[in-house]
Amino acid sequence: MQATVGSSKATSPRWPRAIARYGVAAVSVAVATVLALLVRRFGFNDVALPLFLFAVGVTAWDAGPGPAVLSITLSALSFDFFFLPPFYSLDFSLADLPAVVLLLAFGFLITRFNTVRRRVEQQLLQARDELQAEVIERTQQASLLDLTHDSIFVRDSNDRITYWNRGAQELYGWTREQAIGQRSHDLLQTAFPAPLNDIEAELVRTGRWEGELRHTKADGNTVMVASRWSLRCDENGNPAATLETNNDISNQKRREEEIQSLNAQLAGWSAELQAANRELEAFAYSVSHDLRAPLRHVAGFAELLQKSGFSALNEKGRRYMTMILESANRMGELIDDLLAFSRIGRAETQMTSVNLDQLVKEVLGEARLETEGRDISWQIDPLPSCRGDRSMLKLVLVNLVSNAIKFTRQRTPATIEIGRAEGDKDEVVVFVRDNGAGFDMKYVHKLFGVFQRLHQSDVFEGTGIGLATVQRIIHRHGGKVRAEGVVDQGATFYFSVPKS
Amino acid sequence: MEIVGRILMVEDDPKDVELTLTALEDYHLANEVIVTRDGEEALDYLFCRGKYAARPSELPAVMLLDLKLPKVDGLEVLRQVKSDDRLKLLPVVVLTSSREEKDLVSSYRLGVNAYVVKPVDFHEFVNAIKELGVFWAVINAAPPGSVRK
Repeated sequence: MQATVGSSKATSPRWPRAIARYGVAAVSVAVATVLALLVRRFGFNDVALPLFLFAVGVTAWDAGPGPAVLSITLSALSFDFFFLPPFYSLDFSLADLPAVVLLLAFGFLITRFNTVRRRVEQQLLQARDELQAEVIERTQQASLLDLTHDSIFVRDSNDRITYWNRGAQELYGWTREQAIGQRSHDLLQTAFPAPLNDIEAELVRTGRWEGELRHTKADGNTVMVASRWSLRCDENGNPAATLETNNDISNQKRREEEIQSLNAQLAGWSAELQAANRELEAFAYSVSHDLRAPLRHVAGFAELLQKSGFSALNEKGRRYMTMILESANRMGELIDDLLAFSRIGRAETQMTSVNLDQLVKEVLGEARLETEGRDISWQIDPLPSCRGDRSMLKLVLVNLVSNAIKFTRQRTPATIEIGRAEGDKDEVVVFVRDNGAGFDMKYVHKLFGVFQRLHQSDVFEGTGIGLATVQRIIHRHGGKVRAEGVVDQGATFYFSVPKS
Repeated sequence: MEIVGRILMVEDDPKDVELTLTALEDYHLANEVIVTRDGEEALDYLFCRGKYAARPSELPAVMLLDLKLPKVDGLEVLRQVKSDDRLKLLPVVVLTSSREEKDLVSSYRLGVNAYVVKPVDFHEFVNAIKELGVFWAVINAAPPGSVRK
């Protein structure tokens, strides 16, 4: 039941249309017949054929060739029956032929016209569809240009804006409607980096131009843009339009300016620092020269007094005199060490490959005087070469080794070890270990400071400058120093220098 | 009796002068010491100008020159001495408190004959002065035209 309904539904649009088309033929011929009969009653006999021709024409035009054939047949029959003598009979004679031929020819002509008309109509429809598709594609492309963050506009050869994307609207603040038709350089108050004539000459010559422009936005603020122009020419090679793409580089420019001003500031600081350094050098020079002179006088005259007036002095006086002399000599040592320390900061480093094994050997050789009569067990491991200033690194080793010798004075036997420790792959870490007096780790931060001492001076002499010197030299090499110690068990000093 | 050359000392600090003279006295070298107190006076002496215009123009056996001096400093004195045809024969010993490499290098560039840093320790100082005095005023054969007694 349902299937039948379905099938009748599926076929129904075709049959009624065919019936209607053939109906047109029947109806139009019937109407022509009735009209011709009515007209004949009023005495007009020759109107019948034109009316049938009209019916055939209407059928051929509206209903197609099939109904036209039906219409021609019916018209011929009706004409023969009603309007050709003998009336009211279907008696075909040769006299009917012209009317039949006329009807056939007319039907064919109108059908042909109709076919042509349909073909033209078809082509028109196709052209319209194609046009619509293109419009859709173009619109999509234009909206793609709208998606980009760059501001893009097109201007014609008279500099009038013909396209203005959303990026341009967002950057400059003018809508598409406001911008299109305006002269772009007037609208944006463009400031060019070079004469406009030169820029346009380059554009025409190479087809493109790139540079930085200053534009004024709708709100009156200026904006720096990196601008790229591309020229489009017409088929004759004449410039037709320019595509201009602009990127806002105001932030970039501002950052550049900030960097420049920071650099200038830095240069200023550097100059100040250099001036401070020079002052410090002058200070060190005065210390070297002017501080030593009065000291020499104190020592010198105390000595002379001791010599010439010694017998006049009592025990106490002689002890005071000795203390004056000792103090003066100690201050001399302090000044010398301080100067040596400040010189490290000022001296130029000469970086070469340094054979640490050989350097250790030299340092131990020179320490022989200090170790005379001592029972010291040396453990010297092989060391690699490193990169550094040889004389400065030697000073580091001299300081560390002489510290080790000094602070193991109360040990028999003393053990001093020089070796290599684990470190990063681009550095060499060397340690100097002793079993001497050691130190308390809670003072380790003081160890490398200038004039810092962790032992009383009557037990272990020294100015407290040695480890500060070590640290300063190693820092100048880009390395690190550190120390480990336990009171009365010994200390280990590590330093790192770049590998050669 | 040994022949002792005349020593020209250029030193502005009276205490240093006294200490130096004391040291030289101990070795009987002090009686032929001429003391000038600044660079200008030293140059006047050497070129026989000003208050030294009347002196005979012989050269001393050695000049002990401090670097830090009023008016004309020691390096300038050295430069003028070493660029004068007659005076460049004069041995010059810089005797200074300065250990600065800059001073050392400048002095040698200008042709100094010796550079001695004054030790703070008195014994070392006396020794240094004594050795200087003995070497330059006694042992060293002075250039022609210098005073001997």
